[in-house]
Amino acid sequence: MNLDKLLQTGERCINEAPPPCSACCPLHIDIKAFVEAIEKNDFKDAYKIIEKRMPLPRITGMICDHPCEESCTRNKKGGPILIGELEKSAVLYGYSGPKKSYPPRPAGKKAAVIGGGLRGIIAAHDLANKGISIDIYEKNSFIGGRIWDYECKSLTAHMIREELSFLDNNEQIEIFLNRNITRSDLNEIMTGYDAVLLTADDLISAYDYSRETFQVGNSSLFSAAEQDRKNSFIFAASSAKRAAVSIERHIKKVSMTASRENEGSYISSLNYNIEEEKYRQPVHKTNEFFSKKEAILESSRCFKCQCRDCIRSCAHLCKFNIAPKSYIRNINHNERIIKGSHYANKMILSCTECGLCKEKCSYGINMKNVIRETRESMTLRGKMPPSAHDFALRDMKFSNSEKFFTYRRELNKEKIKYVFYPGCQLPASNPGYIEKIYSYLTKNSDAGVGLMLGCCGAPADWGGRAELMNETVNLIKNAWRELGKPVFILVCPSCISNFEKYMDEIEFISLWEIIDSWGLPDNCPANPGMKLNIHDPCTSRHMSSMQKSIRSIASKLKCEITELKYSKELTKCCGYGGLVYFANREQSNDFIDDRIAESSEDLLVYCTMCKDLFTSRGKRTFHLLDLLFSDNLDDSCKQKMPTLSERQQNRINVKNQLLRKIWNEGTEMDKDDKKYQITENVIEKMEEMYIVLSDIKNTVINSIEKKERFFNPEENTYLCRMRIENITYWVKYKTENEKILVTNVYSHRMEVVEKNYESQ
Amino acid sequence: MKANNNEADIPWICDKCNEKLKLRKTRIAYLGAEFQVELLKCPKCGMVFIDEELAKGKILEVEKSLEDK
Repeated sequence: MNLDKLLQTGERCINEAPPPCSACCPLHIDIKAFVEAIEKNDFKDAYKIIEKRMPLPRITGMICDHPCEESCTRNKKGGPILIGELEKSAVLYGYSGPKKSYPPRPAGKKAAVIGGGLRGIIAAHDLANKGISIDIYEKNSFIGGRIWDYECKSLTAHMIREELSFLDNNEQIEIFLNRNITRSDLNEIMTGYDAVLLTADDLISAYDYSRETFQVGNSSLFSAAEQDRKNSFIFAASSAKRAAVSIERHIKKVSMTASRENEGSYISSLNYNIEEEKYRQPVHKTNEFFSKKEAILESSRCFKCQCRDCIRSCAHLCKFNIAPKSYIRNINHNERIIKGSHYANKMILSCTECGLCKEKCSYGINMKNVIRETRESMTLRGKMPPSAHDFALRDMKFSNSEKFFTYRRELNKEKIKYVFYPGCQLPASNPGYIEKIYSYLTKNSDAGVGLMLGCCGAPADWGGRAELMNETVNLIKNAWRELGKPVFILVCPSCISNFEKYMDEIEFISLWEIIDSWGLPDNCPANPGMKLNIHDPCTSRHMSSMQKSIRSIASKLKCEITELKYSKELTKCCGYGGLVYFANREQSNDFIDDRIAESSEDLLVYCTMCKDLFTSRGKRTFHLLDLLFSDNLDDSCKQKMPTLSERQQNRINVKNQLLRKIWNEGTEMDKDDKKYQITENVIEKMEEMYIVLSDIKNTVINSIEKKERFFNPEENTYLCRMRIENITYWVKYKTENEKILVTNVYSHRMEVVEKNYESQ
Repeated sequence: MKANNNEADIPWICDKCNEKLKLRKTRIAYLGAEFQVELLKCPKCGMVFIDEELAKGKILEVEKSLEDK
């Protein structure tokens, strides 16, 4: 797996992109966290958040000119969050004393700051915190410059003096008042310092400086020019801080430009979707400042902007509360780890590979492809947990074995134009429909319609088993060639998706397009006024002509269709896709329940597994074939999924009955079933542990033939075990006359190495 | 890993050998990892007995953790 490419995909995700306000703020205060803290009535925490980025927070917080509000997403839905007012609230209600700090280790370097106004003080503050000694030259008899212009009732002279007191208390800082430094003085001053910072505008205007580093040429002279916006308090503070970073880098002789892309104000890549957000106006102050209550109310208007478009619509991303960026980091770690646990396995095996995330993402990130590649890599490296997809793959093998797989031309026809391929799940769930469909097709076409039974390989594709997929494709292609390359008539959207992906030389058409064009089957009742929501299976996401046929057939049947919010190219998975049904049943149930919650009417589906999963959680669901071929509509919408053993038996029956009835072929029927009686409790366990009747029969037969079994004389019961492929099955049974009464089953994958037995 | 049963409680006997089961050291393996544990087995033919509690408890737990290694 190309992990560099994977990480590049992750980089495109904007889930962690800052909200527009924080990106716009030249100091990049974490405004979202700050507003959230106020909403939680934690003004102390809110104050701490601004203090992290904002020097002299009580001054800056009170007089910040809040350019962030211009970029606020709330602008279009009632007006921006009043962030400036909230900053004042944080200062008023959240300040609890000066920040404790420890003096830094002196760096043995010295810088001069020309000008003791706002910019000079902030730069001195940041540089002194790095252990650099600072001399401030101020032309006036006091420091603070324009800060004093803001002195008022809420920002008292006392508060200002307190905030500036660090200058007196810090041994690294020395202030020289009444020292007007002119351009002619600078050369001499520069010889005495490692760097000199200009903050006085008359001197700044005399030098050209780099807009990125604030450095004058390659010299040790720096200029804290207000370059992005004039007369802005917060932009001035930002210039001073950025110039201080450059001075520190210059003194430490490290790169002046590395990793400084997002310094200063910029536009965030985040494009928060406000479609579903409600309009709310800003809170009005009843006094000069917000009361606590007003501040909390105003904070509650904040959207907490973050791109979660994919997460919101996906039960999987929701369950793991994860966006592609972080998901991909986890996959990267999972792929690289050599020793230790692969913690991301469960998550990777819980994606239905439905592709909705890509449809919702403005940057087109498709986790379906990422997951598919990851699963292929896990399989190749031998790191795929065997239990995750084992049953689905065994079931697929069963469907492509002689028990089900077969193909025939239409009886008495040398050449056929079509071959009907019902897939593996429809014959398993609704065996009776296969003959009805085949009969409909042969009646309506003289061109010849053959039949092919088998599995298209969907489990191999979902499970990342490339080799197995390839074998399946060859099996189908060889049969297709032998039949004279007919056009496949496909019913199952997963089959269609696999034929599209792996067998592009095979022409196919969906049964739905055929019925829409050839006409409804005979005796097919119209259902006037039947109200239904259509659920498009996720594999049909981009099959618009098939979706159209489905709606057209439903309309010919006089059904009243209401579209779901997530339909057609935005449809959701039922919970079966990606074999999640086998790998994480809880996650699968989340998908089913999410979809059921969206529908107000009975569901109409055209994928067998969608129907089986929805009915398994109590939702009345019709397969379109029910409306066309069912003898009892009301029963069919409640039909429970047959057990795993019944599904396999239904496939066997479909093959045998069709071959016998249509092609007059004799088939051997398994008469052994009658001997076995299985309790309800055991049937439930079999479903839970993916044990089928043939596993039980093989185990019992082996135990009788080889006498490999334990006996409980008190209960007159046998317990036997047999290893079949990678699983050991245990069956507890009694014999009554010719009958085998199965009273318990269980299994494990761990192998007991009996041949190494040493008698002790 | 240890079998929960002790020899005395077990009503099962080996049907082939008609022997009572005894706790014996046994090797079990999964995904390339091998352990030696005490399990009940027929002292004569060596057929190993694993009950449901052990299969669905400790064995399953170890299987799961090995699958994620």
